[in-house]
Amino acid sequence: MPVLEWIRFILGAALIVLGLATFIMEIYGVYRFRYVLNRMHAAAMGDTLGLAAAIIGLIIMNGMNFTSVKLFLVVVFLWCASPVSSHLIAQLEATTNPEAGEYESKTLAALEAEEKEEK
Amino acid sequence: MSKLRPQKDYEKTAAFRFWSWLEGKKDPYVGTLEMKEQKEFRESKVAAVERVIDHEKLHDKIYDMEKNKEQKFFRVFYKISAIILCVVVIAALILCASYLPEVGNASNPTNNDTMKRYVEKGMEETGVVNTVTGMILNYRGFDTFGETCVLFIASSCVMILLMMSEEKLRANETPDFEPKDDLILQTIANLLVPILMIFGFYVIVNGHLSPGGGFSGGAIIGSGLILYSSAFGEKKIRRFFNEHVYKCIKVTALILYGCIMTYHFYTGANGIENLIPMGTVGNIISAGMIFYINLFVGSEVACTIYSFYALFKRGGL
Amino acid sequence: MNSGIAALESAYTIFFSVTILVIAVLAALCLLRAIIGPRLADRVVAVNMIGTMIIVVVAVLSVMTEGYLADICLIYAMISFLAVIVLTKIYTGAYKQAKVEKTELSIEELDALLEEQKLFPERDLSEFGVVMPEEKEEGGEA
Repeated sequence: MPVLEWIRFILGAALIVLGLATFIMEIYGVYRFRYVLNRMHAAAMGDTLGLAAAIIGLIIMNGMNFTSVKLFLVVVFLWCASPVSSHLIAQLEATTNPEAGEYESKTLAALEAEEKEEK
Repeated sequence: MSKLRPQKDYEKTAAFRFWSWLEGKKDPYVGTLEMKEQKEFRESKVAAVERVIDHEKLHDKIYDMEKNKEQKFFRVFYKISAIILCVVVIAALILCASYLPEVGNASNPTNNDTMKRYVEKGMEETGVVNTVTGMILNYRGFDTFGETCVLFIASSCVMILLMMSEEKLRANETPDFEPKDDLILQTIANLLVPILMIFGFYVIVNGHLSPGGGFSGGAIIGSGLILYSSAFGEKKIRRFFNEHVYKCIKVTALILYGCIMTYHFYTGANGIENLIPMGTVGNIISAGMIFYINLFVGSEVACTIYSFYALFKRGGL
Repeated sequence: MNSGIAALESAYTIFFSVTILVIAVLAALCLLRAIIGPRLADRVVAVNMIGTMIIVVVAVLSVMTEGYLADICLIYAMISFLAVIVLTKIYTGAYKQAKVEKTELSIEELDALLEEQKLFPERDLSEFGVVMPEEKEEGGEA
């Protein structure tokens, strides 16, 4: 029935657009934050939510197929594996950067006062 | 013949004078020219100080990164010219690619009789659904055999250059600086390594039904082994994949591949009936020898990939 | 996808093409981040992001054209994950080795120093209106 086909298209398209919006927000966050650990926090958003939304939208558009099963396996694999990547990158940064904890220990007021001094 | 002249007579001849002048034994001006006495050259202190000051000034002027005009200009020029060069090269390559003919155009040079024979009769003659696998393992099987030999030779060369014996490894043991025993990584590796191995085996075995085959499946199994080695350490992987197992797998795979190819070349060239059954198209065990060749190639590639990682990292399997 | 309605087919094609285009632009921006980022961890993060976006592109292509590209999607996900693991381990090892050679600490001292470095010092949260409860001593109660 044509109505069902259109409904399937719109549902799938909405999910894919949600995924694209997540990716755009992720890129904006990566450019806007200042330190590596914050940027990694933004990057992990795309690895999980963006990917899942985009691929579930594609599964809906494709119907029940062998290809859909494989795409679902991609989602399962990446939801298991990408937090481990984030953990390892955070470990790398915390080990190699002796100043990584400095901004955490100062209060906001002290940070802003420092910035004004630099300017 | 002439007699040897005595030395005293020889010293009066012109030839002796010429040769001794040439060698510099006789200085014509010694004792004939008046010269002043020469003193040793010593620099006065003022001159030495001035020389050092000039050298420092010049050094500062040349290596001054901020105020030197040429340095500033060079830095800006370098960045701009790098960007312009990249853009020009990209534009030239895209322009070249746009001149290529369309895919499937009838007047392409790839549209010839060989291609038609492969496409039309590929499935009946080789028995595979995936024509590419049929081509590289059946029609052009000799090239693929050569490639597998090249993989073997490459990993043998890396072993020759980098491998140390076990006693030397234990003697030279520098402490391992990499992070060890990460619980999160080990939990995930417990889950993912079996999935990777099974998926790699699936890709190898289904080489003639869907895209894949020996080379890609072998790469996946190799990366599964690398993941295991990264997560659990070298001692644990040596329980099941050590040098003995590696050598057995490699040599057996290549020898069996050679035997099966020799059988096929012999029967094909002399018109003798081939004993390996072709099977029905679409089954897993079909297409004659291609199923077995995929297994051999897959194991060869997996061993190669893991051996490169282990040899470069540690110097031993 | 084979619905037979012409408008729907063209809608699918246009939508997928626009998706691929947008993600390609985002991937190029990620590459810029990899070039600019002052530390090494910035670059590893950017490479991971590019890998994820390319996985989405390949998945869209597999729905658009042929079904077997989903295998390639899975393989690429595995390989990008493995790349991040191996890169971080190697660089951590190299940094520690260089530090041990420069400052001539022993390995246990270096590990202790790094553990101390990882713990962020306590932060004063009073400006946010958070009152931390005082710790009471439990003395003598069974």
